[in-house]
This record gives sequence, C-alpha cells and structure tokens, in this order.
Amino acid sequence: MARYGMLIDTTKCAECYSCRVACQHQNHLAKDETWIKLNTIEKGTFPNVSFQVLPVQCQHCENPPCKEVCPTGATYQTEDGFVLVDEDRCIGCKYCMVACPYDARVVHHETGVVLKCKFCYEGVIAAAGSSGGADATSGASSNLEDIPACVNTCISTARIFGDLDDPNSTISKEIIARKAALLRPDLGTKPKIYYVR
Amino acid sequence: MAWGTIIAWYLFLAGLSAGAYLTAYVVSNKSPLSTTIQKTGYFLAPALLGIGLLLLVFDAEAGLKDPLRFIYLFVNFPSSMMTNGTIILSIFMMIALFKAVMLYFKKNVPKIVDIIGVIFAVGTAAYTGLLIGVVKAVPLWNTSILPILFVVTAMSTGIAATVLLASLVNRHAAHGLKWLKKTHMILLALEALIIFFMFYVTMNASQVAYQSIQSILSGDWSLLFWIGLMLFGLGLPLLIEGTELLLGRGSPSKQTVEPEVAATSTGVINIVPTVVTEAGVLVGGFILRYILLAAAVSTSIFL
Repeated sequence: MARYGMLIDTTKCAECYSCRVACQHQNHLAKDETWIKLNTIEKGTFPNVSFQVLPVQCQHCENPPCKEVCPTGATYQTEDGFVLVDEDRCIGCKYCMVACPYDARVVHHETGVVLKCKFCYEGVIAAAGSSGGADATSGASSNLEDIPACVNTCISTARIFGDLDDPNSTISKEIIARKAALLRPDLGTKPKIYYVR
Repeated sequence: MAWGTIIAWYLFLAGLSAGAYLTAYVVSNKSPLSTTIQKTGYFLAPALLGIGLLLLVFDAEAGLKDPLRFIYLFVNFPSSMMTNGTIILSIFMMIALFKAVMLYFKKNVPKIVDIIGVIFAVGTAAYTGLLIGVVKAVPLWNTSILPILFVVTAMSTGIAATVLLASLVNRHAAHGLKWLKKTHMILLALEALIIFFMFYVTMNASQVAYQSIQSILSGDWSLLFWIGLMLFGLGLPLLIEGTELLLGRGSPSKQTVEPEVAATSTGVINIVPTVVTEAGVLVGGFILRYILLAAAVSTSIFL
C-alpha cells in the first residue's frame, strides 16, 4: 500500500492561483467553492516583516478529526490513505467542518454535501495500477506524480506529489533535502502535506 | 464557523426541552398538587425538542434533499458524538411524547418510564454540551466544564420556560413553590460561577482561546454578553428572585395547603416580576449558546 502525500514549497509559490483554478475546473466547482485556500500570513517581527503565502487544502490526515466526528460514516479512509467523502451518505450536518483544524471542507452549493480535496485519487489509483505493468509509457499523464490537477498545473513546480512510504520517490527525497515540515504536527492529526516555508 | 444561529437555536431548544421535563418531574414529586406546572413542563418538552429537531433537519441540507440518508445516523453507532446524541435524543423524544400524550388523555404512566425519561433528559442536556465539547480544533469549547454549563443552563431555562408559561395560563401556578424559586436562584448563581471559571481557565489555555474569550468580553460579542446574558439573563433575575425570597413574597407559611388554592385565597398576584425574570433567563440561555458558537475560533495552523 502506498501512502500518498504532497510537498508544497511556499518559497517557490508565485501566488498565481492556478492550482485553485485547476482544482475547481477538475472538480466542477463554482468560483466561490474552493478546495485550495491560499492564506497570506505575516512573518517576522517589526521592522523585518514579510508576507508569506500558505496554500492549504485537505491534508489527508492519518488520524482525520473529520472522520472521527462524521455521524453517518460518509467520511472514510482508503487503504492508500486517501480521506474521502461518500456523497450519497453525507447529510450535510457540517460537524466535519467544525472539527477540521485546516478549514479544508466546503459545502457544495447545489447538493449541500460537504466536500474537500480528494488528492485526485481516481487518476492516481489508475496511474499507479498501470505503472505497475511493463507498459508505463502510454502518456505523460500516466506518471502518478503528475496526476493531481494542482500539481500538474503549478507553474513553478512548487508542488510535488508521491508515495511517502517509498524512500526513492521524488517527494521522499525532497522532504529531506528541503527540510519540509508538517502544519501543527502537535495536533496529532498526522497530516500528509509537507511544507517548505 | 460552520455552525450558526440555527444550531444555536437547536442547542437552546434541546436543553430547554430537557429542563422542562425535569422541572415537571421534580415538581410532580415535591409538590404533586401544583398540576399546572407539571402539565406545562410535560407538554413543553416534546414540543420544544420537536422544533429543535426540525431545525437540525433543515440545517443538514444534503439530508433534507434525500431524507433516507438520516438512517445512516443510526447505523454508525458509536463512532461519532452526533450518532450517540441522535440515539439519546430519539429515545428522549419518544418518552417525552408518550408522557405528554398519556397526560393529555389523563392516563397514568409507569413510574419506571418517568425515571428513564429523567435519565434521557439529563442525557439530552449533557449531549448538547458534549457535541461541541469534544471538538479539539476549537479551544473555546474543548473543556470538560462546558457540558456541565449546558446541563445547568438547560435546567434553569427549563424552569424558566415552564414557570413562565404556567404563570401566563394560571397566574397562581408557581405561587407557593418557594423551593423551586430557590433552586432556580442556585442554578443561576452556579451558571455565573461556571462561566467565570470556564472563561478564566480557557483564556489561559492558548492564544486562540484567548482570542475567543476576548471577543466575548470586550470584542464583537461583548454587548450581547454583558447586556443580554449578564444583565438580563443573570443579574436581573437574581436580583428579582433574591428580593422576592428575602421579602418572603409568594410563599404561604404552610406547605401542606394546596398551593394553587392557597394562592387564590390570598388575593391578586402580580406576575410581572415572574415574567421579567423568566423571560430574561430564557433570553440569556439562548445568547449563551449563540455567543459560544459565534466566538469559536479554530486552532491556528499558521504557527
């Protein structure tokens, strides 16, 4: 089983919002439904201050608080560690939105179901299956590290996607090389998006 | 915060319903002749909870559009606090409704059903606090004193709603129930104390918790808090009830006399203080829940 995660290098982020737009396009979201939120935060102490951008989306936690509180079992985890929402089971109670410290969840305007980033899991699983065979060159997009729309579209390669359990994957190497860290590891949610800040 | 006014109403109504049931039950044991209060409490309980549950259903938009999904709430026991609460509320709703219907048809309910009802009434009141109390991401709620605060305020608002409505129906209804007034006062004093403890400790819990408390004490919600909750919800009721108890008004010397009859013989009763007090407590109970939802700030992930 793979354990998929992401690395976001905020020092490379140009704040172009293309990840957000690509995500909305991929998932057929309205313009005010955003699964990726680009937060601007202040850094440093006066007078040496600067702004820093911090793109935040579902962290696909290993201990997801949203799954813990979900009363209907609509939120679930796959064997590969994707945290997903069964849209036919969700009643829209919004308990998950209250419980998520990353503010990753968004109510879908039309259905009332609470949704969030899926790490583009359909494509990732399909690519992972095909790359396992001998014929892995069916197309550029079959490389699973390029599958998530936000990663694929990023103009400055600030995003890297891959298997955290594979020590030879690009993401595993880069996390070490760039000293990437998790957001609030002390919360105990075990998120899977690493940040370089 | 994802939960707003509708959920605040629901938390308030569920607590109120539980409090009304408990008030009716305690009065039926301590002052069995005060029938207006008992009836009011037992009739209010299922009605208020029913409204609260309807609000919940309307807030859960996806479920409203596909109501069969609510069945999943019952098959997911006991993983989520909300699942547990759904079961507690369902059982309490059935008992409260059963009790009200039996009372309407003047039929007796087995003692054991009444007592199970008491257990689930306390459960309902506690659950409304536990629901938000278990949310680790919100330091303002994530404290063990919150469910206690919700139980205490559920009782005090329950007494208030029952006494208020009963007094409007029959102005002698609450007359002579000095012990109920005393209990009410103790609950209000307890509420003030718990709010003080909770805020004082939570303020020192974390930066975000401090922000939440600041927004209540001196920020966006300060007017509602000080005028709505502290003045009308706690100060005024404590003052009026305290004065009434001190002056010994509204209390016949002998409890053995049937209170409602005894009251009639003493002549006209002014129910204005009662109305002001109980209405204030009700307003305060709602404002407390509204503020706690509105002032909630999620743990910062930007550290």
